[in-house]
Amino acid sequence: MDSFRNWPTFISQGTMLANVFCNRPDYCYCILPKNVVCKGDVVSDVVGAVYLFDSAGGCEVDVEWRGSVQGCEMPEADTMNDLDFTRDKDSAKDFISHFADANGEAKYLNILVIIPKRDRDNFFSQDVANRKYKAIQMDLEDLFSYKDLDEEFLTRVTENTRRYIGIFANAIDELMPEPTEALPDDDNDIFMTQRSEEGTENTDGSDTKQRMPPEIKRFYEVYITASSKGRPFTIREVKASHIGQLVRISGIVTRCSDVKPLMQVAVYTCEECGFEIYQEVTARIFMPLFECPSSRCMINRAKGNLILQLRASKFLKFQEAKIQELAEHVPKGHIPRSMTVHFRGELSRKVAPGDVVELSGIFLPIPYTGFRAMRAGLIADTYLEAMSVSHFKKKYEEYELRGDEEELIARLAEDGDIYNKLARSLAPEIFGHEDIKKALLLLLVGAPHRTLKDGMKIRGDIHICLMGDPGVAKSQLLKHIINVAPRGVYTTGKGSSGVGLTAAVQKDPVTNEMVLEGGALVLADMGICAIDEFDKMDELDRTAIHEVMEQQTVSIAKAGITTSLNARTAVLAAANPAWGRYDLRRTPAENINLPPALLSRFDFLWLILDRADMDNDLELARHVVYVHQNKESPALGFTPLEPSVLRAYISAARKLSPFVPKELEEYIASAYSSIRQEEAKSNTPHSYTTVRTLLSILRISSALSRLRFSDAVAQSDVDEALRLMQMSKFSLYSDDRQRSGLDAISDIYSILRDEAARTNRMDVSYAHALNWISRKGYSEAQLKECLEEYAALNVWQIHPNTFDIRFIDA
Amino acid sequence: MVGLPYDCLVNPVGAVRLTFEKAVASGKDPATFDGKDWGATDLFREFLFDNGGLSQVPFLNPMTIKWIQSNTLVRFRGMIQDMLGNEFYVGAYKDGATWRTNKFADVPQFPMGSSSDMRIWERRLLYCVPVPGQNSWTQTSSEAMRNPYSNITSPYGEKRPREEITATTCDVDMQALDHEFEGSQCTKKMRGDGVPSQSTYPQESSVERTCSDVCMGPDFERNSFPCLVKIYDSVESELKLNDVFEFIGVLTFDPEVTTDKDKSDESLNGFFEDALVHLPPSKVPRLHCLVHRKLAIHDFLSGSHTLEPKSHLVKGVREGLLRHLTDVLGNDAVAAQFVLLHLLSRVHARVDSLAVGKFSLNLTSFSKETVSVFGNGLNLAINNLVPFTQCIPLTVDYLNSVTLAPRKDYQANRLVSGVLQLADGSHLTIDETQLQAGTLNSTGVDNARTLKNLVELQKVEYDFTYYKMEMAADIQLLIVSEGKSNILPADLVLPFHPSSVDSSEVVDAETLKAWRWYLATLRSLPHSIEPEMQKVVEDDLVAARQADRSLGSQDFSRWLTMGRLMSASFGEICLTLEHWQLVKELERLRRERFQGTT
Repeated sequence: MDSFRNWPTFISQGTMLANVFCNRPDYCYCILPKNVVCKGDVVSDVVGAVYLFDSAGGCEVDVEWRGSVQGCEMPEADTMNDLDFTRDKDSAKDFISHFADANGEAKYLNILVIIPKRDRDNFFSQDVANRKYKAIQMDLEDLFSYKDLDEEFLTRVTENTRRYIGIFANAIDELMPEPTEALPDDDNDIFMTQRSEEGTENTDGSDTKQRMPPEIKRFYEVYITASSKGRPFTIREVKASHIGQLVRISGIVTRCSDVKPLMQVAVYTCEECGFEIYQEVTARIFMPLFECPSSRCMINRAKGNLILQLRASKFLKFQEAKIQELAEHVPKGHIPRSMTVHFRGELSRKVAPGDVVELSGIFLPIPYTGFRAMRAGLIADTYLEAMSVSHFKKKYEEYELRGDEEELIARLAEDGDIYNKLARSLAPEIFGHEDIKKALLLLLVGAPHRTLKDGMKIRGDIHICLMGDPGVAKSQLLKHIINVAPRGVYTTGKGSSGVGLTAAVQKDPVTNEMVLEGGALVLADMGICAIDEFDKMDELDRTAIHEVMEQQTVSIAKAGITTSLNARTAVLAAANPAWGRYDLRRTPAENINLPPALLSRFDFLWLILDRADMDNDLELARHVVYVHQNKESPALGFTPLEPSVLRAYISAARKLSPFVPKELEEYIASAYSSIRQEEAKSNTPHSYTTVRTLLSILRISSALSRLRFSDAVAQSDVDEALRLMQMSKFSLYSDDRQRSGLDAISDIYSILRDEAARTNRMDVSYAHALNWISRKGYSEAQLKECLEEYAALNVWQIHPNTFDIRFIDA
Repeated sequence: MVGLPYDCLVNPVGAVRLTFEKAVASGKDPATFDGKDWGATDLFREFLFDNGGLSQVPFLNPMTIKWIQSNTLVRFRGMIQDMLGNEFYVGAYKDGATWRTNKFADVPQFPMGSSSDMRIWERRLLYCVPVPGQNSWTQTSSEAMRNPYSNITSPYGEKRPREEITATTCDVDMQALDHEFEGSQCTKKMRGDGVPSQSTYPQESSVERTCSDVCMGPDFERNSFPCLVKIYDSVESELKLNDVFEFIGVLTFDPEVTTDKDKSDESLNGFFEDALVHLPPSKVPRLHCLVHRKLAIHDFLSGSHTLEPKSHLVKGVREGLLRHLTDVLGNDAVAAQFVLLHLLSRVHARVDSLAVGKFSLNLTSFSKETVSVFGNGLNLAINNLVPFTQCIPLTVDYLNSVTLAPRKDYQANRLVSGVLQLADGSHLTIDETQLQAGTLNSTGVDNARTLKNLVELQKVEYDFTYYKMEMAADIQLLIVSEGKSNILPADLVLPFHPSSVDSSEVVDAETLKAWRWYLATLRSLPHSIEPEMQKVVEDDLVAARQADRSLGSQDFSRWLTMGRLMSASFGEICLTLEHWQLVKELERLRRERFQGTT
């Protein structure tokens, strides 16, 4: 509060009016002597009571003295001038009429009036002058980029927004063109015509009460929207210093009131003189006028009775809501804060409880009124006057990168090792399991969905099933993945039934209508659904999953409702082996105990076993001791990427949709056929290699190329995909391999020999050899060992520099 | 004026304002304070801690509220139950040419003249309640103190107008009330059969007491005596939900104003009234906090007893306590050992999702009969040893009806407390023996899951309707059940084998004090494992796992916790081979019991 102005001449008795003015329009207060009646407030009965006025734009508050006001000190009149505001109004006018957006269109002028036949989108058809569109959003961003404006004007607008809304509205009033179309007559227009006729007859001009407030003539609302750059505030961060300023905050809507009318201008007619009297209402509570303040009545001392004219008054839609901090913004050990938000006019009915929203608005105090004001001392409640609402989306596709994230991702993408780095950053606290983490990373990335010409859809989601002994951190992996994914649902097979997983038709208890309620899989549409305890699921639900996993829909035919809901979700399942623990005496198929039809739908099936292994045990013991000793996890040896970075990287990667180049088709086809042949050769086929496998290879390869930010699938992607699939198979059948008697080295040798024989060549390049063996799940170190060993046996020669292999003809 | 012209005790706000004037006089611009401290809290810190003023500050509780004056310095011990957010107030304003402050006060001292210059500052509101489950022995002598004002004539007569007027009429009322309180106290004592509690409220004050208000007495009951604490300039992270604090500050309490709900406000605001409406100042005293300090369990023990943790002393106390527990547990020495370790446990650290140091205990093989004998005996013993205890009877009805986890009530904009909103270090006994077969409704399932979460992770999920928030907890959980509890998977399961029933041993107050001190001190001892000991432990763990594949990291973790607790129980800060052997021996005895039963 800075200053007052326009204090009236002093009247020692009776009623007098004061016009309080200050240049902090967001709030203003005045200090009154005893027995003062303030309009819209109550009698001050304490000397020195202070009243805060929640006043709009012009911030002219009328104060009425009643009774003796002797000894009342009048504040110094301030020279804080109208001039500034007049100049600012000119700035605003200039801005509105001359601002050009990126396309060179006069953005704001176009909103005001339609420019026929030129517009490409409906943005320009929002015709305010013709009353087709009511809201005018002034973007602070535009103001910022407008070249002719001085910085100070911008600062003033941000810090004193409420006032400047009025200034902009005044500017628009002056710029508003005549409507180009005939307007439908409504009550208001009739009133307006009457008023303008009357106005010419008897204008007092001098009387503020009779001057028609501009609000009553306006058919539009002006909003100033905060710049969308930078991070929005959390509710906690909005401090006392932000009062009166434009802020942008994010939160979740917890409660909403009904939309109610809020009086903006009250109109009275006087019984005596017949004048229309206007009263601007700036607070939620106002004190109606009773005596006619018009000059005629004053002169005649008639004390004309005023009658409130509801039809002539102007009302605004008004809605209150409470927003609360988002869980991720609340510091540990604290509970979320909340804030009241007021929505006026066109912004009402935009939010519902549960919505996650980003709001820009003006942070304002509401004065306590009446008795409470005195009890509360000098405390003010605060609220946010909403200026814009945007709903926060959590889908990958709508994930917007922040400025610094883009840079970070670009830097990460250049890093050659990004694949490993990302994979390691998934659940960093879980030791080992590199290949599983890689697979999970690919699940997060996914492949693009494809729709064929005939309407057939091919899913892009990668499904993974983790199977293993209890206590191998399966659930932890699942939960971590859900945390990283922007849209993820975690459920357990046992805990969810009926509506739990797919969808259900339910009777609404209030309306008795049948309602379709989506289950976890439907809720996870375009995201990830993690199902724990997959093996303990009901047979019925499991059948529903068949459809979800391949067709990506949930069909419902219940209670007269037949429909199919989208469930484009990647399924990440975790299951225990059939007898709780993996029984090594039984075959893998017996242990897994899931129907082949279901298994074949998983791109990866991973078995995590808890093997008796001295090294592992020691590692575990060391870990536990370390944790107890140092109260932290042992150092990881690398710094994992933050989940937010992961999320950003993955969402950036998901924007790509890589294709398979022609020259690779042959390669993939041959790889597929060789897997099929191998399976045919073996007398106990472990796997069910079907066309689905081929699609899996394609999916995984495209996910890999997405990770590289490449538009085309490369051969290395296919090789890595095959390697991963092989590894997942090995996790199931590694024992068999050991039993078959071949050690790794000789196995590698046979692979290389077979491949060489197949292609009928004597030379094998090192890169090729590495590809082949890694597809079978061997490491480079093992390959080198093999090369040396067999070179010593003179089976082949190794090129000393390139390590290329040349078989020696026997 | 020399020294302190204001009495920090009687007129703290005056003292605050004086420091403010001094600060302004020394050339600081109040406009730039932005609510920051200008030296007022230093003054009070000096007064309270350096000059021993703390002991003169009366405690605020249902007894003392009757004679404590508004606008005097009081202290309140409680747990932060809810955080109500920020409050904006006019912090400084210009009265003519001089700056005045409203910090630590509800109403301005001077009429705010025609000044136009003011600064809005903010303070935080905390809703505090007495620590849930606080045992009566913790608030003896130190908390209820003599009325220091009884023979001081106030220099601020006009500020305390109500005081003397009703003195005589009041006394009658007061005495009647006192009897009520004592009555409830007696019943508490009765339950503690055999174990006399030395807790007595001082009786002498009832006569001297001048009561300041008549109407509010019956409003308060033990454990539902909330206080709205207004916190000024402190780091936000310092005060956390469920922390136990002592707040020292200015009391403002207006019992006269009982119904000041604004009519107009109510009709207009509808459901949007703020939380304060539900906390009328007549029911909830306000405390403008000057100094706050976090309390540990120590602070709840009666003062004088501060022994050095010397090993021979500790050993003596340990043996005495162990014997007592053995007696209580019907001569089951093994169970007594585990209970002792259990009582010493606390969460030392959180590593990932793991709470290191928790040691929940599940005593099985109880039957209806043994529970009534030993269960109650154990409960009483624990009540006498640990400051905060709670007991949950686990029945289907209970699970289906009670709210265990706190939840947010958006209608009232308050966090509704649940049974599991407990201060760190609380002890919770869950009696599962009463559980019958039955159907759980959705509340029941939620509650069961909440309990399980608490046992496994030491975390409670608070329900905010639109999302849940995990709050870390540190609660000692003791589960009493017939068979191994599957709803509540405790760290350690032990079949309980009592052999005798007579457990009526009289414990004198001094011994009890020593035991309480022992538990409070030793549980916060640091702990380390020397490298060579570490090697031994690792080898033992690996060997154990080689022998039994079913052992997992949880078992390892439990053993290490036991090792820590075992050495702590001897007052040692380093794990020795001897104690490690003891742990292994205990574990062996425990396993033997399973082989015996199955």
